[in-house]
Amino acid sequence: MALPLTYNVRNVLVRWRATLATILGIALVVAVYVSVQAMATGLEKSSTNTGDPRNVMIVRKGSTAESSSQVTREQFKLINYLPQIARDSKNQPLISADVVVLINLPRRGDGGEANVLLRGISPVGIALRPQVTLVEGRWFTPGKREVVVSRRLAARFANFEVGDKFKTGGKELTVTGIMDGNNTAFDSEIWMDADESRSLFDRENYSSLLLRVLDAAASQTLIARIESDKRLPLHALSEVDYYKSQTKTAVPIKFLGDFLATAMSIGAIFAAMNTMYASVGARTREIGTLRVLGYRRRSILASFLIEGAFLAFIGGLLGCLFSLFINGYSIGTMSFQSWSETVFSFRITPWLAVKGLIFSVIVGIVGSLLPAIRAARLPVIAALKSV
Amino acid sequence: MTVGSFIIKNALRNKRRATLSVLSVAVSLFLLVTLLVALRELTLPPEDAGAALRVVVRNRVSLANPLPARQRPIIEKIPGVEAVSPFTWFGGNFKNEESMTFAQFAMDPKLLRTLFGEAKMPEKQYEDFLKDQRSAIIGKLSADKYKLKVGDKISLTSTIYPATLEFRIAGIYSGTIDDRNLLFHHKYFDEATGDLGQVGTWWVKVRSAEDMPRVITAINAAFANSSSEVRAETERAFQLSFISMLGNIKLLVGSISTVVVFTLILVTASTMSMAIRERFRELAVLKALGFRRRELFAFILAESFGLALLGALIGVGGAYALYTYGNISHMTGGIFITFEVTPKIIGFATLVAASLGIVASIAPSISVARTSVVDGLKTLD
Repeated sequence: MALPLTYNVRNVLVRWRATLATILGIALVVAVYVSVQAMATGLEKSSTNTGDPRNVMIVRKGSTAESSSQVTREQFKLINYLPQIARDSKNQPLISADVVVLINLPRRGDGGEANVLLRGISPVGIALRPQVTLVEGRWFTPGKREVVVSRRLAARFANFEVGDKFKTGGKELTVTGIMDGNNTAFDSEIWMDADESRSLFDRENYSSLLLRVLDAAASQTLIARIESDKRLPLHALSEVDYYKSQTKTAVPIKFLGDFLATAMSIGAIFAAMNTMYASVGARTREIGTLRVLGYRRRSILASFLIEGAFLAFIGGLLGCLFSLFINGYSIGTMSFQSWSETVFSFRITPWLAVKGLIFSVIVGIVGSLLPAIRAARLPVIAALKSV
Repeated sequence: MTVGSFIIKNALRNKRRATLSVLSVAVSLFLLVTLLVALRELTLPPEDAGAALRVVVRNRVSLANPLPARQRPIIEKIPGVEAVSPFTWFGGNFKNEESMTFAQFAMDPKLLRTLFGEAKMPEKQYEDFLKDQRSAIIGKLSADKYKLKVGDKISLTSTIYPATLEFRIAGIYSGTIDDRNLLFHHKYFDEATGDLGQVGTWWVKVRSAEDMPRVITAINAAFANSSSEVRAETERAFQLSFISMLGNIKLLVGSISTVVVFTLILVTASTMSMAIRERFRELAVLKALGFRRRELFAFILAESFGLALLGALIGVGGAYALYTYGNISHMTGGIFITFEVTPKIIGFATLVAASLGIVASIAPSISVARTSVVDGLKTLD
């Protein structure tokens, strides 16, 4: 016969003073785990959220990021005439030839510097990326040295307010507007006119092409057409797929999260063991009584395991609550793929919270295993005699 | 029985609890040391022996923008400059690996000894490298990792240039701070990429330390208002510029360390109070026997202090032994090359342990002081 669950719940609650520190300890371990994983998730999401399923992106074969890709003007012209490309009301193909340049700019405040991704786009490039909205000022004028910066970058770099000017490539650029990428990779970009960018940085070629296709079938045809053309050393893929491949930077962060969780959980298991041993010690007589009443060894064992798991579960819940405070908090680091500043937010997903809870329960069960075995093995008579 | 043995007996009377407390302190301090060392390695990367006399010149726009090859003779003429070599990042993927694990640079092999004197290899291998334009030298760490020997052929596909290059390993060097890179002939690179007339960066050897500031200013001034303005800086400054790029990672590791320390204090403090609560009655007896509060405090403090320091010895000592005698580049998959546990970090971790011992004894001491002898004697637990 199993002991009622309320027995365990009440035991944990009645001894809250003794168990509080253990619960808090487990809570902090779970909070650290969930936070670091939330960072990795946020970083991945900023990439996987990006792109429009109707768009196809074209880069040089063999390049892993736009910043190291090249598309010549001849190639651009050739692709311009492909029939699968959608056209606007003036019958112009919806295609943007982009120039991606990394520029080194000073951060706000501390005097450090970092690389920022400056994307030169064709005028139609804005309409091709509906995820980006202008939140302040106006878009840049083609043919002028004007840029629009993302709101998140504006918070991190110097001279990024509307009307500010900054220097790069020996020339001055004026910020005319602030855009919002709505948690996509575009949150880490500055935009300007493509041809102006090519002349400013002395670039003969474009970096990549982004185009809108007529429909899904046209997308397949176009990708197959470009991939099979031996004369074109280009790689075509859907925009969504391209950004899905840009998530490698999250790998070391996940590693850090796992490492911390493992190391800290060892400490937490020791703490849980201590608490549970004390709990078993204090209840020796009670356990003897239960045995006399007819509860079997395995019921006692299960009961203490459940108690440890419950205790850790409360800690896990608290930990998830703690980590909620950083949900949405924006941070930035260098992406190992684009070599530029990537801004993203901590993202706590329900699955991540569930993982944190499972993790805490495991800590609780492992920590209470030895004390529970001890409780189950107590000799009945001696236990009853103990004070 | 002396006071000392009384304290030791008390601390060890519940051996299981004492062990668990010591181990949890040890694990936490091990983690703390690891985080602190990682933070230090990230923010203060190790410096190469020859770095003091080297200047790195990159495009002012950013490192990702190339420089024109025609700049070389202009830099060479600047007084105080001993040698100038191109240094171009090839960004090649080895075999079918998803991402590169060692960097490859195209440079002027004739200047290897001048620029990177710390890279040691047999003279015969170096001469072989000089002669064969399609050969390369590779650091010992990478050579060991991929089991490469002198004479082996390897092929690398660039992610930046449309080129796949095949190299014959002419030599294996060691002695630099990061023996992983592959170095090869810039001429081979130029041929393969169709003579772009571009280099990634210039690495400049300066004659003496006194010349450094003047040379840096002169290089920067030489290309001011040209189509390719440059940023010349010491190798150290160049290295440190990457740290600023890491952004908030520093802050993150810092806050995690704080949480670890806090968790540690919490758990140990609770264990200590558990130990004291258990012998409330005894302490009351001691009080009744005439021991003063001050002496009771001393007992509790000494016990908690002792346990914390023992934990520190195991945790910090373990971290020191592991990171000093273990192969760190192997353990972290090459993320860290060095992982030095400095005396400062050891000192800090020990200090944390010591304060932990003190903090953990406060709560039990207060409750002992508050309880009257009669109440204490009544306690059953």
